[in-house]
Amino acid sequence: MILLAVGCSFRDTPVAVRERLAFDAAKLGRSLDELNGRYGCEAVILSTCNRVELYLARPGADVGPDGDLVAEFLAEVHGLPLADVRPHLYAHRNEDAVRHLFRVTSSLDSLVVGEGQIAGQVRQAYETAHGRECVGPLLNALFQQALRVAKRVRTETGIARGKVSVSSAAVDYVREVFSHFDDKTVLVIGAGKMGELTLRHLRELRPKRILVTNRSPEKAQSVAAGCGGAPVPWEELDDALARADVVLSTTGAAEPIVTWERWQKVLARRKKGAAVILDIAVPRDFDARVHDGDRTWLFNIDDLKRIREATLHERLKHVAPAEALVEQETGAFAKEWSRRRVGPVIERLTQECEAKRRAIVRNLFHKLNGRLTEADKQYIEGAFRKLQSQILHGPIRTLSDAMEEGAGGHEGHTLLDALRKLFRLHD
Amino acid sequence: MSYERITVFCFAASYAVALGLELLHLLRPRPIHRLAALVFGGAGLLAHTLYLAAQQLPLSSRHGSLLFLAWIVAVFYLYGTLHHRRVAWGLFVLPLVLGLVCLGTLFDGDPGEEEGFWLSRLFAFQGDRFWGAVHGTLLLLAGVGICVGFVASVMYLVHARRLRAKTPPAEGMRLLSLERLEEMNRRAIVLAFPLLTGGVLVGMALMAQAASQLQGWTDPRVLTALVLWLVFAILLYLRYSLRVRGRRVALLTIVAFVLLVVTFAVPHTLSGGGTP
Repeated sequence: MILLAVGCSFRDTPVAVRERLAFDAAKLGRSLDELNGRYGCEAVILSTCNRVELYLARPGADVGPDGDLVAEFLAEVHGLPLADVRPHLYAHRNEDAVRHLFRVTSSLDSLVVGEGQIAGQVRQAYETAHGRECVGPLLNALFQQALRVAKRVRTETGIARGKVSVSSAAVDYVREVFSHFDDKTVLVIGAGKMGELTLRHLRELRPKRILVTNRSPEKAQSVAAGCGGAPVPWEELDDALARADVVLSTTGAAEPIVTWERWQKVLARRKKGAAVILDIAVPRDFDARVHDGDRTWLFNIDDLKRIREATLHERLKHVAPAEALVEQETGAFAKEWSRRRVGPVIERLTQECEAKRRAIVRNLFHKLNGRLTEADKQYIEGAFRKLQSQILHGPIRTLSDAMEEGAGGHEGHTLLDALRKLFRLHD
Repeated sequence: MSYERITVFCFAASYAVALGLELLHLLRPRPIHRLAALVFGGAGLLAHTLYLAAQQLPLSSRHGSLLFLAWIVAVFYLYGTLHHRRVAWGLFVLPLVLGLVCLGTLFDGDPGEEEGFWLSRLFAFQGDRFWGAVHGTLLLLAGVGICVGFVASVMYLVHARRLRAKTPPAEGMRLLSLERLEEMNRRAIVLAFPLLTGGVLVGMALMAQAASQLQGWTDPRVLTALVLWLVFAILLYLRYSLRVRGRRVALLTIVAFVLLVVTFAVPHTLSGGGTP
């Protein structure tokens, strides 16, 4: 297997460099075509905000793509000096490259371990290359297997369990209190960036109505229009609070906008059941004392971040089983690929020996024509067949063992090349 | 196979193993633990059913009524476990089943007012015997409602406590949402109240008849049933007139359950001074 993975990731490369090495759609297509044409290799380019990686393969060749050439190519494509690019790149070859891709796709090498986005990004990268006919037998098999391995890791270990984003954790808390939302009112106070994301998650619950209030009526109008809600004047905040089941507060106010005393007045006017308040503003918009654990449930940014930390801590426990699974799959893939590579060579060797043996036996029978009985002929043919299999047994066994032990490593490839040269097995 | 060889120990042990597996699942969550708990719970329910069918216990006996009540709650456990597969259902329902079975066992040998299988009396349509069975059946079904309300209330209080402490939702046992638990409690109470009222009224009518041997209003079982009815009336008044919800309703439901247990555990006192 002649496979090379070259790239850089968030681990060692600053974002300023990663940004310059990233591929946009146009550059990606051009680069794939060029890698395929210029270096005659299969190619897939994975470009995300956390990593830029090139996977190159030459399944039938004796020499793999060169890492330095790839670095030069990257520098050329992005118009950067080679010296600025080369130090940031890592390279993995053959089995190491397989392992690396499996780890990346399984989200073991991600900034947030267990996140699900990377598998989709790998799939996208593979499909783009496939669409431009830049992938062949090796990268086809490798990427399809990588996606299968990622699925196994996600389903067979707890690496992807739990929520790691603040907005989805907020919705989880809401779901702990309410079971259905078709009669619920969501009130959005403010228009912060984090609020938008949380509101998007809350909208997925399909609440009956969404009310939006802001000190700026224009902003309230704009947010309400974006989420299919109704704007409420800032002066009517108390009325809106009394009507709301879920409150999402995300203002930039320097002081709490709802004090304990103000909330008590709102509670006295409320005819509804419990209220869940998601206060994701910093500084906080609600006085922490409003959380009474009966009629009012208040969750602020620290509570939500605690979920994220707990989830990540929990996920780390599943890294070792996930790594073991990746290791097992890497070995299996490398062996399978070696078997595929060595199989045709052994078959050709056997066929050539077979043809030569038949020719020799045919000549022998021709020269001894009339002097051999049918039984003699069968005996001679059997003896030659036995000789052939005994001669071939050693080299074939040694080659198979070397390929299997080294999983297609250097020794296996050297023997394979030697066998080709010694027996003149050409394509 | 003779079903008469099945003892209370058979199904109580099955329920206990199922509860143990639920606890194990809480400590080390594995799908196999939940599945095994379901198998043991199902086996316990089967044995429980065969036991009740073979023994034909009278509903008027404390032993019989508590084992019948435990059986219906065990059906509720099985339904809930299959319906809410990810919820720690068994952790709350199985202790109740076991508690009722153990309490019933304490009164083993209690003959009840009348011998014979209560269902056959119910369908016999014969005067007092029939109305006696109706009285017992209504109180039993009301008891089921109170037990469901009790389970929902305990779950509610545990869940509310976790949320008050802001425990991350994914940590520990999974429970239904507070709204769902409150709804379950409300439905159980709303269904149980008319049944309880009917049961108490039929009981009072029977007591008023000359044929009754009960001591009348001073009978402890009659008294606790009336207090239970009163607590229920207060519960409904708070829930619907004063719109009291959440913790307070849950706590009052637990009080109602305690009274129910007392009602089932206290014997009727006959006018002659003995207990049936």
